[in-house]
Parts: sequence; C-alpha cells; structure tokens
Amino acid sequence: MSGFDVLVAGGGIVGMTAAFDLAREGRSVIIVDEGRHSGTTANAGSLHIQMQSRFIRMYPEQVADLERSLPLYPAGAAHWRALEAELGVDLEIKSSGGLMVADDAEQFAFLADKCARERRLGLDVHMLERAELARIAPYLGDAVHGAELCVEEGKLNPLKANEAIRMTLQALGVQRLDEAVITALSPAGHGIEARLSHRGGQRSLSAGQVILAAGSGTGQLAAMLGVAIPTVAEPLHVNVTEATAPLIGHLVQHAERMITMKQLGAGQVVIGGGWPARFTGPEEFPTVNPASMIGNLSLAQHIVPRLGSLRVIRTWAGVNTTTDGQCVLGKLPGHDNVFSAVPGDAGYTLGPLVGRMAAALAMGRDPGHDIARFTPARFAKPG
Amino acid sequence: MSDRLTITFEGRKVGAHPGQSLGAALAASGELALRQTAGGDCRGMFCGMGVCQDCLVTVDGAPNQRACMVKAADGMVVRRQAAPGETPPARMGAAPILFENLQTVTADVLVIGGGAGGLSAALAARSCGLDVLLLDERQTEGGQYYKQPSAALKAEPLDRQQRDGAALRQRCEGAGVRIIDGAETFAALDAGSVMATHAGRTAVYRARAMVIATGAYERAVPIPGWTLPGVMTTGALQTLWRSHRALPGHRILIAGNGPLNLQVACEVMAAGADVVAVAEAAALFAPARAGAALRMALHDPSLTAAGLALMARARRGGASLRFGQVARAISAVKGGLEVELGSATGGHGERFVVDVVALGYGFQPSNELLRALGARHDHDPGIRALRTVRTRECETTVPNLFAVGDACGLGGALAALEEGEIAGLAIAERLGARSPAGVSTNAAHRRLEGHRRFQAALWRLYDAPSPGLSLADDATLICRCEEVSKAALLAAMADGEPSIGAVKRRTRAGMGRCQGRYCGPLIAAHLAEETGRPLDERALFAPRAPVKPVTISDLVGGSPP
Ligand SMILES: Cc1cc2nc3c(=O)[nH]c(=O)nc-3n(C[C@H](O)[C@H](O)[C@H](O)COP(=O)(O)OP(=O)(O)OC[C@H]3O[C@@H](n4cnc5c(N)ncnc54)[C@H](O)[C@@H]3O)c2cc1C
Ligand SMILES: Cc1cc2nc3c(=O)[nH]c(=O)nc-3n(C[C@H](O)[C@H](O)[C@H](O)COP(=O)(O)OP(=O)(O)OC[C@H]3O[C@@H](n4cnc5c(N)ncnc54)[C@H](O)[C@@H]3O)c2cc1C
Ligand code: FES
Repeated sequence: MSGFDVLVAGGGIVGMTAAFDLAREGRSVIIVDEGRHSGTTANAGSLHIQMQSRFIRMYPEQVADLERSLPLYPAGAAHWRALEAELGVDLEIKSSGGLMVADDAEQFAFLADKCARERRLGLDVHMLERAELARIAPYLGDAVHGAELCVEEGKLNPLKANEAIRMTLQALGVQRLDEAVITALSPAGHGIEARLSHRGGQRSLSAGQVILAAGSGTGQLAAMLGVAIPTVAEPLHVNVTEATAPLIGHLVQHAERMITMKQLGAGQVVIGGGWPARFTGPEEFPTVNPASMIGNLSLAQHIVPRLGSLRVIRTWAGVNTTTDGQCVLGKLPGHDNVFSAVPGDAGYTLGPLVGRMAAALAMGRDPGHDIARFTPARFAKPG
Repeated sequence: MSDRLTITFEGRKVGAHPGQSLGAALAASGELALRQTAGGDCRGMFCGMGVCQDCLVTVDGAPNQRACMVKAADGMVVRRQAAPGETPPARMGAAPILFENLQTVTADVLVIGGGAGGLSAALAARSCGLDVLLLDERQTEGGQYYKQPSAALKAEPLDRQQRDGAALRQRCEGAGVRIIDGAETFAALDAGSVMATHAGRTAVYRARAMVIATGAYERAVPIPGWTLPGVMTTGALQTLWRSHRALPGHRILIAGNGPLNLQVACEVMAAGADVVAVAEAAALFAPARAGAALRMALHDPSLTAAGLALMARARRGGASLRFGQVARAISAVKGGLEVELGSATGGHGERFVVDVVALGYGFQPSNELLRALGARHDHDPGIRALRTVRTRECETTVPNLFAVGDACGLGGALAALEEGEIAGLAIAERLGARSPAGVSTNAAHRRLEGHRRFQAALWRLYDAPSPGLSLADDATLICRCEEVSKAALLAAMADGEPSIGAVKRRTRAGMGRCQGRYCGPLIAAHLAEETGRPLDERALFAPRAPVKPVTISDLVGGSPP
C-alpha cells in the first residue's frame, strides 16, 4: 500500500499552504480534494482585519470570541506578505486600508464603539468624519456620514495566489488527487488509512498523519473518526463589474448592511459581502441567486453612486465554511495523528497562517500563537 | 432614407442617418477602429449584434457604450475607449432596494425573444385568447432572419424576407400581443419568471408558461489577425447593411463555412460592394456531396434553386468562389487588410487586399436562460453545440418552460416559425385556452418535418471539419476580451486534466465582457478532445446571471415611479 508522511484532506488555501510547509521540510505529502464545495476558488480576495459587522449582526453571541480571535487577523494579513516573498510571485497584495461606512450618526456611534474596542486590542483603526473621509475617499456618495478606517486592511488577487501556490506545490513534488471523495478514514497501525473513490474507481491510501483541511467538508471527515466538528456550508454570491479607471482605493464595507467591495488591479470592481447563493441539483452545486444581485448591487450604488454607470458582467457562487466564528485548529480528540485546520471567518485572510500552524502541529513544532481555544475538543458533547 | 444628422468622433464630424447605430455610421465613414485594449491593440465591431463587446466607445462622457447597439443622435460626442475605460460620471445615489421591492408584471405567457420563433409563438398563444407578453432586447426586433431596419431610418424593405418580418410583427401587434422592445432579460428565476431591464428599470416578469426564443450568435474560429478592426462576422456585415444601410468598406472578402456567407455576399454586392472572393471550407461540388444536394432539392426545390442562383449571382458580380478553402491569416497592410486563403489543413494560398473581412462559421445557440433554469441539454455532434431536450410540443425538461428556434438547436428561421406556432398552441391547451376553430398543429408539424430534413441535408452538404484552434498560431488571441493567447491556453489546458472552470481561473479566459461566448465553446471542445470527457453541459462555462452585462443603475432602478 502506498504510504505518505501526511495526507492533506482538502486542497483549499489551508490545505495547500500546510502542504507547502510540510513538503519544504522534506515530508511526502498528498492532497486529496473532492472539488465540489470550495471557498478558495471563489473568494473575493479581501484581506479582512476589523470585525465584520455582518458577523456581529448575525451571531451576537459570538462577539466575545470574535474579539479574542482578532489578533490573528493582522498576523494573517502579514503572513500573506511573507508567503508572497517565499513564493517569489507578485500576488498583487495591497494594504490600501479598509473603510467601514456609516449612513447616520447612530451607525457612526456603533462603529466608534467597535473602533475603541479594536484599538484596545491593538488594531490601527480610526474614526473619520464626513469631511476627512471625503478627502481620502472622494468616490463615496453623499449618503455616507462617516467611517471607520482600518489601516492594515487590503486585498490581493486570489487567482494569482492560488495558481502560484499550486505551481509551487507541483514543483515540490506534492501529489494532488482531484475529484477524489474520501469515503472512510480509519486508524491503521501507527497511521491512518483512507478509502477513496476517484473518477469512478476505488482506492486506498495510508499516511502517518492526516490534516483535515476540507473547509465545510471537515465535519463529515471528522465524523468518520467519531469526532464532532460542526462545519456548515454557506453558499455565497459575488458580483463583478466591467473594468474602469482607478476609482475605489479601499476595501469598503458597511456598518450595518452586508457588503464588501474593492477594485482589482485590472480595474474591475468586485462586490460581495455575504449575500446568499443557493445549491442546485442532486449534487448541490452552488449557483448564484439573481435576487442577491439586486440587494447587493443596490447597496453598492448607494455607497458609491458612480458605480451606477458600470455594467455588472459576471456573478459567481462559492461555498464558505462557518463554525462558531473561530478557527478549529488542533489535534482531534482521541487521535494523536489527525489534525483539523479550519480557519475562522474571513478564512482566506487567515488561510495561510492556519495552514502554517497546522503544518507546525504535524511536525511537532510550536505554532507560534496560542491556539488552545481553537481546539476541536470544544465541540465534544459533555459526558 | 431620411435626413442626415451629425456626430463628432474623435473631434471629426461624421454624418449619420436617424435610426442608424453609431457603429454603422462610423463604419460607413471609414472609422473601423473603436476600442483600445489593455494590451494596446485596436478593436472594431466584430459581432454587430451586441455580444462581443469589442465596439466600446465613450458617448457624451459615458464609457462602455456598444457602438453597434447605440442609436446615433444629432450632436453626440463619441470617443474611442482606451482600457480600462474612463471614470464613470458622477451621479445621484439612491436608497438601497431589495429584490422584493421590484415591480412585478404578469401575463399568461411570457415570450423571450422576438425573432421568427418568438413572434410566431406569441401570435399562436394570443390567437387562443391568452394574455401574451413578449420581451426583446433590441429596439427593433424581428430577430436575425427578418432583421428589421429601425423605423427612424425610413428605409424600404430590401426584399421579401424583410417584408415578411414587418408583416408578422404587425399581425402580433394587431392581435394584441404586448411587445416590449429594448427589454434585456438578464436572469431567469423559474420556469415562468425572469428579470429584465427596460428603460432604465428592472422588473420581474411572471407568467404561467414561458417560451425562450433567444436565437443564436455566431461561432468563433480564431485565425491570426481575427481581432483586427475591419474583421467581423458575416452576420455583422449583414446587419450593417440590412438593418442600418451602411457598408463598412468597398472591397470585401467573405470566408467560412455555411450558406449564410454566399447569401450575404450577394446582399452586399447588390448594395454596391466589391466582393473580391468568397471562401467556403466545404468542397461543395465534391461528388461525395451529390447525395446531400439531391436530398435538399427533393425537400425544398425552391430553396435549393435559390442557393444555386446565389452562386451564379456572386460569380456574375465578380466574386471569386473558392470551395474547400478557408481564410488562414489576416494582417494589416498599407491600404487595408491582407487575407491569405488556403486549405484548412495547411499550405499557402492566394492573398487578397481588402477593406473588410467577414468570417462566418455558423452559429452557437443562445441557450443561457434555458441552461440556468436547469433544462436538460445534450451535445449534438451534427451542429457541434448543445441541443435542448424537448418534447414534440417544444416543452423542455422543466415543466411549462418551452423553447423554440435557434436557441435550442439551430434549425433556421422557417423551422423556428413552425416551432413557435406549435409551442404557442401547446401552451394554450395546457392553460385551458380555446384555439380558434379549425386550427391544428398537424400541418405545422408536417412543415416542420420538411424544414428539418432540408436543414439536415444542408448541413451535410456544407459539412466540413471544425478548425477549432488549429488555424490560430501561438500568439493568436483566443479569448478576445481578456487577451489570452493560444499558447497560454494550451499550457493551462495541458497541466493535469483541468475543468473548464479551472482553466478560466488559471488564465482569465472567459472572464471578460462577452462572458466567454466566443472562447468558451472552443476551450470546451479542446478539453473534451484531450481528456475524453463528454462535451456536455458541465463541459461549458456555468450559465449564470446576468446572461448579458447589465448597467447597475438599470438593475437597481426598480421601484415603481
Ligand atoms: C464567495 C466567497 C467570497 C469570499 N471572500 C472572502 C474574502 O474576500 N476574504 C476572506 O478572507 N475570505 C473570503 N471568503 C472565505 C474564504 O474563501 C474561505 O474561508 C477559505 O477559502 C477557506 O479555505 P479552506 O482551505 O479552509 O477551505 P475551502 O477553500 O473551502 O477548501 C476546502 C477544500 O476541501 C475540499 N473538500 C471538501 N470536502 C471534502 C472531502 N470530504 N474530501 C476531500 N476534500 C474535500 C473541497 O473540495 C475544497 O477544495 C469567501 C468565501 C466565499 C464563498
Ligand atoms: C448574425 C446572424 C445572422 C443571421 N442571418 C440569417 C439569414 O440571413 N438567413 C437565415 O435564414 N438565417 C440567418 N440567421 C440564423 C437565424 O438564427 C435564424 O434564421 C432565425 O433568425 C432564428 O430565429 P429565432 O427566432 O430562433 O432567433 P432570432 O431571430 O435570432 O431571434 C432571437 C431574438 O431574441 C432576442 N434576444 C436574445 N437574447 C435576449 C435576451 N436575453 N433578452 C431579450 N431578448 C433577447 C434577440 O434580440 C432576437 O431578436 C442568422 C443568425 C445570426 C446570429
Ligand atoms: S460589435 Fe458591438 S458588441 Fe459586438
């Protein structure tokens, strides 16, 4: 039976970056990817740092945890820069700053409160009144009352990043099985055996260690080993406009409503921020939700009226993973050689950092951050 | 034709006729280079029908206007558009709305597309007393076969084809079909409802049954030089003349595969153009094709005779007819475009210098709305495209969703007419409406059978291997919008066995304004050949809203006034 040092289940940003570190350290690695639900191939490339109001609104009970996870985000964004240097490819990373805009005094006060808490946690954030805001962001419309600026926020080009990492893994000799579904995982000797169905055939693989980096599929894989991880697949919708001259410099979000927008290097404006997509067909492919176009783009035009003259040329759907708002990172309870690696919210920002920490755990090294709170053991039923 | 008006293009005064598109007016005055790409190349009108997005200009300060779709108006100031386009003009913001705030318009039957198929379906359903709403994205519909000139042009119909189109439209209006011109359907919601923009606003249109009759657009065959201004599809050349009474140049060469090329050659010759040559990839007079020709003549002697007459007319007009030849390469030279003809398989042939090259390689069905709704499609090698799976009554695999005409499989205008009637009457029966005494679909089915047999023989006569990517060289752009070369695409496609989605993400091919309409089918066919995977729905780019680019202010200008 073919044996690998490490089997990485899931070839998204977390799985790929974990494999990168392991392979660089001489481990033999295979990535197995089902290729159905992914955030990595669909994400919008925002580097998020400040707390997203959408999560505060949707899951108020998670705010305390969100705050505790906050220091990870600037570290995650900084890690992207380190990764860019290691890959030696321009990933179009820009720390252009992120604005969360408010429509009125009340929203402004909500943001001011959030801003004060974030400052205490060490973020470089400021409140900007209308006049000052108009100076640095003249593209914003009259409806915008003020904003919170997070200096370190920004963006990158996920297409370039994913491709650069893929090519690097290929050069390092990391094997990758796509369209492969893991049907069973079981302890075997000192390692783990995985049974797969791959393009119509059955096969099995053995590995000394396994990293579960399968995004929303992680829960299902952990269940094969008797461990509960409540990953939920959340289909999301993204819009993109035709290219235009440089207009929107920042990553723009809203204090109360779901939106993120930014302009790519090539001039297109990407508009998303958590509007729902839906699953279709027996295979549950994610597909766009035309109704989301209306709400999302209408909000975009409200914030940046000039966008009204541009055409939306594409939309797409991808699958985000939600748990309880925090990373699920650590050894699986009862399995010394299996690790889960699911990033928290804004998982592309955190992805490479989480991948690196997972690789460190597998190699018995210090992950460099206090990850005790992220243990998958927190979901175990008491008793 | 009517009085002239004046527009300014890059500071120069250019005359135009009311009703003409900007693109037509500019082409008639020799201005073929319109947009400049990020890579620095110039582009001009390619499709002439709003699909390719290569004709973008800035009109009175507003960027991203399609010259082929915008009507010329007196005093318009038009400029070439350089990538990435100018900053969009300042405008008033509007309070955010949701999908639920959109106005809803209801009818018994919704017909999308007002060509032969859509008009005839609408008329049939209306004749049974149903309330029928027809949406067409064009200001002057009639579709690709009838190609109605704009009323403002005050042009006499050129021939029977245009007279028939005007008559059919009049019958629809007279019968009380509610026709909405200039309504872009950009998303399908379910079997009976769509979202469309019209006059700067979006509404949800809902009905108990729907007919998709969105027609077809032209297939791309990339060759070196195919992105140069002055190189356009045969359909674009035809539209310029038939709908706008404009010729983009005097010396014209037409090349490709299929019966439209010869027809358009004769049409523009009659308009005064000098068609120097027509290259047809199929060796029409090869003895092996005699059977097909005979079958055609049996099924429709008059159409077959018309075809032969066309050839004779083209020859008399001085066009050199080259059978078994294709355009292999085009380059810009002093005084025009130099085209090299030759066999599809190699070797150098004769060169011609012309003003305009028209490339016509047949059609691709516009089936995006149908696919987005989950209607099943099978690949049909005969038409090298997806064919919508339908019942005899033209209902798709999604109940109450009907599809007619070229959108579901390239049957031609005459078949589209019959399918429209069959679908319209089937819907009436489904909805419990009474058809007028004496109307049965038997006759329509019989005529449809005849048209289909004629078409099948015509396809066999014109059968020629699809050049695919074979005529392109390494540097030839396959994705016109994102400027992705053949070499870059081949490299991406050879790495592993990527899905078409992965190829798109690796190269950006298909991410541009035309939404992958030209490169998508080429990439899909190449991948299928290389990997042995089926050329099915999954092999193509996912059909997603918006099926055409939509202006955001139109999209969200939704609440009733
Ligand atoms: C539309 C959209 C936009 C987003 N925008 C942003 C953004 O701008 N910024 C940001 O920071 N984050 C963003 N996110 C979130 C981010 O994309 C994800 O959090 C991140 O990509 C997660 O990475 P991952 O590697 O953990 O999981 P994924 O990228 O989801 O990858 C998991 C992989 O595992 C595979 N898999 C699943 N189940 C199995 C199984 N049983 N066996 C084998 N393989 C399996 C899947 O095929 C997939 O390839 C966005 C998400 C979406 C959907
Ligand atoms: C450029 C071109 C030229 C052609 N010339 C000829 C010819 O000269 N002779 C011939 O026999 N055949 C010609 N054909 C073939 C032609 O497709 C059929 O003959 C015939 O027109 C098919 O009728 P139809 O009703 O299916 O589609 P069409 O006649 O193409 O009608 C489709 C209609 O749907 C509308 N439409 C499409 N998408 C949308 C949308 N999203 N929202 C709203 N409206 C929409 C279009 O504006 C159009 O009016 C041509 C095809 C093309 C593409
Ligand atoms: S020529 Fe105008 S869109 Fe193709």
